[in-house]
Amino acid sequence: MTRERTPNRRQYLTALGAGGAAALAGCMGGNGGGNGNGNGNGGGDGNGDGNGDGGSETIVIGSDIPYEPFEYRNEAGELLGFDVDIAEAVFADQLGLDYEFEQTGFDGIIASLNNANFRVIMSAMTINETRAEQVDFSDPYFTAYQTVLVLEGGDIAERADLQGATVGVQRGTTGEAAAEDLQSEFDGDLEIQSYDQITGAFDALLNNQVSAVINDNTVSADFAAETDGVVFLEGDGVAADRDDAPDYLTLTIEEYGIAFRQDDDEFREEVNDALAAIREDGTYDEIYDEYFAA
Amino acid sequence: MATQTDSESGTGGVMMRDRFVKRLGEVAAAGFLVAIGGLLVWILSTQVNYTLLASPLIAGRFAEAFVLVLRIVVVSSLLSVSFGVMVGLGRISTSGITGRIAKGYVEFFRGTPLLFQLFVIYFGVPRLWATGQFPIQDWAVPAAIIGLTLNHAAYVGEAIRGGISAVPDGQMEAARSLGMSRVMALREVVLPQAWRNALAAIGNDQIILVKDTSLLTVIAVPEIMSVFRNINSNQLDPWTPLVWVCVLYLAITMSMSQLVNGLERRSDWGSDSGMWGRLSSGSSDADGGDG
Repeated sequence: MTRERTPNRRQYLTALGAGGAAALAGCMGGNGGGNGNGNGNGGGDGNGDGNGDGGSETIVIGSDIPYEPFEYRNEAGELLGFDVDIAEAVFADQLGLDYEFEQTGFDGIIASLNNANFRVIMSAMTINETRAEQVDFSDPYFTAYQTVLVLEGGDIAERADLQGATVGVQRGTTGEAAAEDLQSEFDGDLEIQSYDQITGAFDALLNNQVSAVINDNTVSADFAAETDGVVFLEGDGVAADRDDAPDYLTLTIEEYGIAFRQDDDEFREEVNDALAAIREDGTYDEIYDEYFAA
Repeated sequence: MATQTDSESGTGGVMMRDRFVKRLGEVAAAGFLVAIGGLLVWILSTQVNYTLLASPLIAGRFAEAFVLVLRIVVVSSLLSVSFGVMVGLGRISTSGITGRIAKGYVEFFRGTPLLFQLFVIYFGVPRLWATGQFPIQDWAVPAAIIGLTLNHAAYVGEAIRGGISAVPDGQMEAARSLGMSRVMALREVVLPQAWRNALAAIGNDQIILVKDTSLLTVIAVPEIMSVFRNINSNQLDPWTPLVWVCVLYLAITMSMSQLVNGLERRSDWGSDSGMWGRLSSGSSDADGGDG
């Protein structure tokens, strides 16, 4: 009876379905654009689309949290860290954009960026060639060193002692890569245990599961400072002749960058300018001293 | 069946006709097959790097992980079924204390995530010792086996309990009236039938145990998912290692369901189709009532 006049349940559902389909089509369109751009490196078509999608909206930043002191939450759940403050200075103060951090695992972070799950990556990410094939990096905004944490008075007293030992790393990090390099140097005589988060590797060190943890110096320094009986492995490393280098063993020198999709050049330039500006006006030094004052 | 086909004249119309519904089901199933098959073929032909897939380096690493998973599965499976039988017997105990403890055990291990239990055992337990003093150096695999065993023993225990309560009370009463003690009646009469009742549920649980080993990636056991994640993050290619992962898990779970089917057939001595039917029924009076 009333079927013709008032929308009944079925028509309502149909309408919903149509809306859903339209929304889905929108999503898929966005994805398609992202993929196309990712694949066709030199192509450059569809740039406008990619930027238009997220440009005026909130900038979503993919990050593997916690990675103290770069990104972590305090007891109250507030997000803190060097990356977080740099993001505030670059995106909010310099570019006048809203931003938010989205938590993600580090081992899939580049794929997530290219799947358009977020706009950029700020996750203490080292610039290296493998990654640069998949994403574009901003100018470096931090220098880090791969270092080795051990237990004070444990079996590992120098670099050579690592041969035959078990080391803990975080999966997908340059610490893992440094461990793999060390493994080939020792002809495979090094066992690597990969944890989802660096805290897992630190736990494993305290729990006698690994003899050493290979990781970025700053993060490891925070952990060593907070934990009795954990120290850096001493020795002359690759960074021994640099003035600003730490005085313990360094395996590699690395620079962190903000990662962008390869079609996002315009935005990347803006961010580079903003990074230069905060170095110029002293904001960068302020933030640096807050987290890494010696 | 025959009476249902007559109902096409009823109020349900075409949807009530058996043949129509059957054909509709076939069309839906075939459509599903074509869609999934097409997607699979497309993925396998465009997304998978076959040079990488066949490279001995990757094959070797997956093989190593596969052997490790097999070892963990065999040990945890045997332990969880043995321990689960004890839990199941505890659940039906006439002693209030035993029954409550078994119930509490099941509630805890079934009521908290396996991931939580693994974290407690792997990260929590060693911290009971002073820093660096925990005596077991390669704790990941033992922790994995302990976690899987404790967790799945709870499920097996419930399956056993269900199997026991599905055996008619008359079986126990008859055995008791012949002068058997309760323990003897349980062992000789009730449990063999309960085992048959519980077998499908236990087999199902053991297949879940195989898949649960994928969680071990978070406690740094170099199992199959860990190899996938490492290759994916180095090569930035998900589909190629995913093919390996899929094949390896199915290799274990499908052979396990074969094994469970075989065991079910073997223990099906109540019916004529049981391949051990005559042998067993000769030596046991237990196949009395149910058919």
